[in-house]
Amino acid sequence: MNDNVIIRTENLCKYYGEKIHALEMVNAEIKKGEVVVVIGPSGSGKSTFLRSLNLLETATSGKVYFEGVDITDPKVNINIHRQKMGMVFQQFNLFPHMTVLKNLTLAPMKLKGMKAEKAEELALRMLDKVGLKDRANAYPSQLSGGQKQRVAIVRALCMNPEVMLFDEPTSALDPEMVGEVLQVMKDLAKEGMTMVVVTHEMGFAKEVADRVIFMAEGAIIEEGTPDEIFSNPGDERTQGFLKSVLNV
Amino acid sequence: MSEFFQTLQADFIKCFITKDRWKLIWDGLGSTLQITLFACLMGIAIGLVVAVIRSTYDKNGKEMRNGAAKALLSVVNWICNVYLTVIRGTPVVVQLMIMYYIVFASSRNSVMIAVVAFGINSGAYVAEIFRSGIMSIDQGQFEAGRSLGFGYISTMLYIVFPQAFKSVLPTLANEFIVLLKETSVAGYVAIQDLTKGGDIIRGATYETFMPLLTVAAIYLILVIFFTRLVSILERRLRNSER
Repeated sequence: MNDNVIIRTENLCKYYGEKIHALEMVNAEIKKGEVVVVIGPSGSGKSTFLRSLNLLETATSGKVYFEGVDITDPKVNINIHRQKMGMVFQQFNLFPHMTVLKNLTLAPMKLKGMKAEKAEELALRMLDKVGLKDRANAYPSQLSGGQKQRVAIVRALCMNPEVMLFDEPTSALDPEMVGEVLQVMKDLAKEGMTMVVVTHEMGFAKEVADRVIFMAEGAIIEEGTPDEIFSNPGDERTQGFLKSVLNV
Repeated sequence: MSEFFQTLQADFIKCFITKDRWKLIWDGLGSTLQITLFACLMGIAIGLVVAVIRSTYDKNGKEMRNGAAKALLSVVNWICNVYLTVIRGTPVVVQLMIMYYIVFASSRNSVMIAVVAFGINSGAYVAEIFRSGIMSIDQGQFEAGRSLGFGYISTMLYIVFPQAFKSVLPTLANEFIVLLKETSVAGYVAIQDLTKGGDIIRGATYETFMPLLTVAAIYLILVIFFTRLVSILERRLRNSER
């Protein structure tokens, strides 16, 4: 197996009861440093796929390999591996009872045993990068949506992850705040972070993605460079989807 | 009018000063507070454990892989359900007497028995209060904790509980007030609590008005004081968010 592959899924299936097949035999590879954007109509299983990668969703069958380890094995301590997989949610999910700074330092201190001053120094440096250093002592309820999501990204980054998973990070934002969040993600991609992004932002996919995966009905229909997918989609479902999202 | 006050004064002296009868009230108050405090702590401890088990089962029971962990959780959850049903389905006086005359028949430390009985009773109600608090926290909070690498218990401890506690504080305070007043049945098992103290005075002096109203007033003052305390705490917790 290629050393560069950081996440690999093998015949991943997720069924809810008998009827609903959220994922159907999904085989995918994410390489180190790669930005993979997953697109597809709603209900296509793209969020389920992303959430299966760090086992927030337990697959019905199939395997997920992270850095060569099968993390679907019940004997594996998933918490250790999750520390290296940052996740950003559609609804931000900041901890409302803590200040921004506490949100950022909690995990590094409790899980990595980092000293308070070191964790705070790290958090402030990361906050500065996304332009929110002055909001360190605010509570999440005092921030705008865009600010919350930038903090959420920084919270994941403070654990110094190997890969970042984004689950529709801009879908809950007011339109004028989408740009600031996408900018942070673009900067992150430039720094060489491995990213898997589920999004409806086709502009982001075209500009930043190394590879685009199109999903429908729980399966990967096709994948390729943004150029291949956007200018020359092979499957008619891809064509139909792109037509409906690009020609609004 | 002055005659009325004179009778009142005479009653007061008869009920509280003569033979140092005020000590009955004072000692009774001590027992009442002691039982309430320790039963409350015990109730919170039991309630927390039961609430975590029940909400864990509610949230994850169906999703879990078959195996020892799932079987264990199902059994423990079943035990918790039986506990809740039995305790909430029977009167606390009866539970207290069962404890006193059957379970701890050989012990005569009635205050300790009352603490256990009221603690177990309160635990059932506190469990449901905590469970509603835990279930009211958005699943996303839990997922955010897990995605950072926190285990189930750490996520509960650092992320879910602090938020849940804040949301259930008013209901929890109410349960504490109910508990304080419920301990007034402790007299059934030969405990001289506040109510019993007043009742002994009533029996000894044949006065009803003074001892009963005094006892009522003391309960009222305790509850008012405690309610104040909780609303201060509530305000402080709320301030931390804005």
